[in-house]
Amino acid sequence: MHFHMIIVAVFWFGFVDSRKIRGISSSYKRFFRERKSFLCIDGSKIIPFEQVNDDYCDCEDGSDEPGTSACPQGRFYCTNLGFRPHYIPSSRVNDGICDCCDASDEYNSHAHCQNACWNLGQRERAYVEGQMRTLDEGLQLKQQLIEEGVLLWREKQAQLRELQQVAEDLQTKLEERRSRKQEADRLKEQTPRPPEAGDGRLFRGQNSTVTGTFKLLDSNKDGSITVDEVQAKVALVHDEERVLSEDEAVALLGGDHQMDLTTFQHTLWDILTNGGRVKIKDTHGAPGVGEDPPLKVADREWEATNLKKVEEAYDTVNMEISDLREKLAIDYGPDWEFLFLNSQCYKLKVYERWGMWEGPPKNQYGRMVYENGEPCWQGGSRSTTVTLTCGTETALRSVKEPSKCQYIMDFQTPVACQPVLKQRGIHSEL
Amino acid sequence: MGGVKRSIIKMATFTGSMAPVLVLWLAMSLSGTWAVDKGNFKTCDQSAFCKRQRALKPGDSPYRALLETMELTNTRLTLQLINDNNKVRLLLELYRLQGNMTRVKINELKPLKPRFEVPDVLITEPSTEPLSLLSQDENGVVLSLGTESQRVIISARPFRLDIMEGPEVLMSLNSRGLLAFEHLRMRKDTQAEPEGEKKEEADPANQAEKEEEEKVDGMWEETFKSHSDSKPNGPSAISLDFSLPGVEHVYGIPEHADTLRLKTTDNGDPYRLYNLDVFQYELYNPMALYGAVPVMLAHKAQRTTGIFWLNAAETWVDISSNTAGKTVFGKMLDYVQGSSETPQTDVRWISESGIIDVFIMLGPTPKDVFSQYASLTGTQSFPPLAAVGYHQCRWNYNDQEDVASVDAGFDEHDIPYDYIWLDIEHTDGKRYFTWDSHKFASPKEMLQALEDKKRKMVAIVDPHIKVDSNYKIHNEIRNKGFYIKNKDGGDYEGWCWPGSAGYPDFTRPDMRAWWASMFAYDQYEGTAENLYTWNDMNEPSVFNGPEVTMHKDAVHGAWEHRDVHNLYGLYVQMATAEGQIQRSGGVERPFVLTRAFFAGSQRYGAVWTGDNAAEWDHLKVSIPMCLSLGLVGISFCGADVGGFFKSPSTELLVRWYQTGAYQPFFRAHAHLDTPRREPWLFGPENTALIRDVVRQRYTLLPYWYQQFYHAYRTGEPIMRPLWVEYPQDPATFALDDEFLIGKDLLVHPVTEEGARGVTAYLPGKDQVWFDVHTFQKHNGAQSLYIPVTMSSIPVFQRGGSIIPRKMRVRRSSSCMTHDPYTLYVALNLQRTAEGELYIDDGHTFNYEKKEFIHRRLSFAKNMLSSVNLATDAEFSTGSWIERIVILGASKPSKVTLKTADGQESQLEFDFDASMSVLTLRKPGVNAGLDWNVMLQ
Repeated sequence: MHFHMIIVAVFWFGFVDSRKIRGISSSYKRFFRERKSFLCIDGSKIIPFEQVNDDYCDCEDGSDEPGTSACPQGRFYCTNLGFRPHYIPSSRVNDGICDCCDASDEYNSHAHCQNACWNLGQRERAYVEGQMRTLDEGLQLKQQLIEEGVLLWREKQAQLRELQQVAEDLQTKLEERRSRKQEADRLKEQTPRPPEAGDGRLFRGQNSTVTGTFKLLDSNKDGSITVDEVQAKVALVHDEERVLSEDEAVALLGGDHQMDLTTFQHTLWDILTNGGRVKIKDTHGAPGVGEDPPLKVADREWEATNLKKVEEAYDTVNMEISDLREKLAIDYGPDWEFLFLNSQCYKLKVYERWGMWEGPPKNQYGRMVYENGEPCWQGGSRSTTVTLTCGTETALRSVKEPSKCQYIMDFQTPVACQPVLKQRGIHSEL
Repeated sequence: MGGVKRSIIKMATFTGSMAPVLVLWLAMSLSGTWAVDKGNFKTCDQSAFCKRQRALKPGDSPYRALLETMELTNTRLTLQLINDNNKVRLLLELYRLQGNMTRVKINELKPLKPRFEVPDVLITEPSTEPLSLLSQDENGVVLSLGTESQRVIISARPFRLDIMEGPEVLMSLNSRGLLAFEHLRMRKDTQAEPEGEKKEEADPANQAEKEEEEKVDGMWEETFKSHSDSKPNGPSAISLDFSLPGVEHVYGIPEHADTLRLKTTDNGDPYRLYNLDVFQYELYNPMALYGAVPVMLAHKAQRTTGIFWLNAAETWVDISSNTAGKTVFGKMLDYVQGSSETPQTDVRWISESGIIDVFIMLGPTPKDVFSQYASLTGTQSFPPLAAVGYHQCRWNYNDQEDVASVDAGFDEHDIPYDYIWLDIEHTDGKRYFTWDSHKFASPKEMLQALEDKKRKMVAIVDPHIKVDSNYKIHNEIRNKGFYIKNKDGGDYEGWCWPGSAGYPDFTRPDMRAWWASMFAYDQYEGTAENLYTWNDMNEPSVFNGPEVTMHKDAVHGAWEHRDVHNLYGLYVQMATAEGQIQRSGGVERPFVLTRAFFAGSQRYGAVWTGDNAAEWDHLKVSIPMCLSLGLVGISFCGADVGGFFKSPSTELLVRWYQTGAYQPFFRAHAHLDTPRREPWLFGPENTALIRDVVRQRYTLLPYWYQQFYHAYRTGEPIMRPLWVEYPQDPATFALDDEFLIGKDLLVHPVTEEGARGVTAYLPGKDQVWFDVHTFQKHNGAQSLYIPVTMSSIPVFQRGGSIIPRKMRVRRSSSCMTHDPYTLYVALNLQRTAEGELYIDDGHTFNYEKKEFIHRRLSFAKNMLSSVNLATDAEFSTGSWIERIVILGASKPSKVTLKTADGQESQLEFDFDASMSVLTLRKPGVNAGLDWNVMLQ
């Protein structure tokens, strides 16, 4: 019995001593000065001072039990010398799990907690230093990228201006071609329709029947084509101006000096209709145009082709312009620092468009959301949230799919480095 | 977890050739209404034996009792029955069992080969009591059932059985003449046999048979959709009817997504019992679901009885009632007291094979029936305390990092939980007992990190085994010949999560022993003590099988799958639980969740209601579904909180948490295709609502745990319908939107969208109920309108009860082990109250060695005292009594605590006059000791 008394006494002293300070930050100490009574911090109740930290919750606000788990709303202050002080919910006091690195929360449990604050502090400091270095490097890189971005921006602007110039030129040309075509169309309307070609394979600007072509080549209408006639009417596709040599003409006539309709049908006709190497000479502006309907058709189609070419060019240029404009309208950050990422692929294959910046107001460019991606198996479409963090490299760090077709990506890049962060780091409480 | 839909996803990833089929399948499942494809499952008409049996109409039974064959020993009566149509004889056995039960067995006298009798469900061979002959003449026999002037009357022509007490008929068997027994017969290959030979062996029985067979097909072969059942044994169905005079309410025969009170089935299909993986099950119909317990309870104000139909084959149960406009019992009223207006329920059981083995539990109280049934099939296993906490599940937590971040989320938001769950994706290609080496590279570290927070994990282990010669488990099962065989003798293969899979024959004891050994720490690599198991798909689910399950002609040794089907899931859980016990050398309690179950499954762990959906009706039906399971012994029941399929609205999710927190098994779960729904993802307000209700669960853990102990000891349900406690109050008989936990807490969850109030029925004349949140007192025997907000969960404590709570809610239940108790003493009108306090170590089997504290707390004559209820038990706790809250009290002038050593001290107290709540400050006495508190 005597022995028990001693233990109780020792325990009691320990208890009185510790309960005054346990679980309270220095700024709260003024509420817990040893008096006869204790006023709950919310002012709701006065209790005897012995009932502070006596493992029974008396105050509604939990303020009488800062050092025990008695109050459901209570919190316990970990002093954590050497690391960062913080509050834990009172339910974590003596729950057998070490929460405060100074082990102060497990003063009456089976948990064997070591004071780990110094190590944690070391590690944290090392980590913060590392972060600082990353940030410094990152900011330098970011500056470069900003400069590059500005250059790129200007370059794109110049490109835009150039394209606009080209577009103007093309427009002029287009108008010209259009009026020519109209002219050709008008001529066509005045002439009777040529007999319909039986063969579907039309070659450009020419009458397309075998006989018609043969007749066209057979200038003297003697029923056979000669070397002269070939030289007069046939030209190389690539070089219309040059007259074919006699050898070339003979070659086209199958090594002979003349060719009748039957042979023509099986040899030269094929070569002409294939249109690869040689063709019937353009007869534009040649005498006798008015009398020869096939030639007029050729002329009109030639105009149409030219017009189409110009129209296509014009469209292409305009598309490039609008594309470029669209790209230039994207928010690349205040200093165009994100411009360099445009069209870069970081395995964001599902999306080809730039997402929406969705970061919190303080760090608007810290998060980007992509929506309406490829359809998902169960309906709906894929979406991705990309978090941008400061790093010295630009790389995708991780991709997760917490729910089906909803992805979270962690993207590191120097341009996400913020000078503000650096300041915060310097002032961090260590 | 889901059946078919899940299969599509998985299969699509590795079977390109099946793609067109899958797309079609998908299109079908996405179009139209969002519900079960009924065409995948048989109606009675599509199930040949059900159709045949149901074609028999009530009338004179062809069966006659051959009284001259009667043999009566001390323990049993045997008697032959003969079918006058085909002259086939049956053997009737009748036993009087201890505890007011009668067992009736009917088998063929000389079957061609043995018929299946269900093993491993009864915990022992039931003890019998003597039967004695009271009288006998050529019309029948009267036997005494011993107690309470109970008699059995066996009528000879036609055969029927009536069980009577005094002048009252409790139950009649074959009174409608629906006893049917398809005897086993030789297969007749009519095409090969010449006419002459056939005639030679023709006897009257065969003749009748032939006629029978001509009329009815499906006896020797049956096809459903593209599946054919070869039926090598031919027809073997059995059927028997039971009449229940005076009964208008019958319950039980889970699992069905239906009301608590069973409906009559005259205008539709019978209730079906056939364990099936039903994809997106439909509510309020008699279709079969994942589990089957062939036990029905019949209740009237004066008596509760039960029928336990011990048969594991496909079973259908027809219910009709004369008060539901049906007259069935018309002429046979000789035995029945009163007039023809007496209400009566008639029940008829039809099974595909096996024998008739039925236990008639004669009550008379609901608790007697629970104890009678428990004496046959055992009680709810006593789970580790942690399993009664909150479970966080999802298909799937993707990797270790995911697990760590969800775990951290609970701490960050100060929400307690005990188990985090891993679904099938954690494995290496759906090879159970393995881990995905990328996503779960260091499972032991992950488990240790959870252990450091005193938390646990459950990983899924399904019974389908990937056919893969590089997979150890498969190779061993194949080499040992442990797989179920197909009808041709090869290993049965079906399609499931891993693709082609084999199904171990869990009906074999040697297979189960081997399976159990696979849970040893050195076999199941990467596991630790805080890893537990979940058995899903154990109906068994076979994606390409008939009705998404196994072919009935698959072979389990001497028996067909047809005979054992409904038992398979029980065996899987049995073997798994045994494995968990063995890995700890028999020290630690197992925790295993199963989807399929049978009578007796309560002995092996918890059950959940399968793949429900995030719909309000599914929330509602979770109550009758778990109540029905509780009535047949399976107390550890819950539904996926939030709903498995689809995505719940925030309101539904919150309401579901509020309901689930007051159901025995409390687990949130979600389908792979749904967005995340951890409790903190719905804004701070909803996080707070969910936090609050999960914390309510944790404060009540001492009460819940005590209820589990009680269920383990008595077989009484934990979550129970009101009629169980108020059997004479007809207003309670059909209630299934509210329930009791034990007998002291009444819960009426809010299950309506946008609800502004609920009407709860508070039972008990001269009873009072206290709102547990406001302490407001309400009178019993009234319907009370309760206005509700989003934070309301109407819960009432019965006046006259004492409920222990632990108010210091921590990260997990284990963190709260040594915490002090607050006692909520709710006084009744007599100003008395009673309760219990049960404490043990929370995780070992040492409670079997009497290492626990069990105390009775009682308040009477202004004194609250704690006395030992188990003087032979011993356990010490660090927990103490922190606070005593007395509801309905008056203000004392002085409160004195007296401890066991006789010391007295004054307690401070606080009295709230507006609510009559007296709070006694810090008695501080150890919870395991004797003490009393006197109010003066």
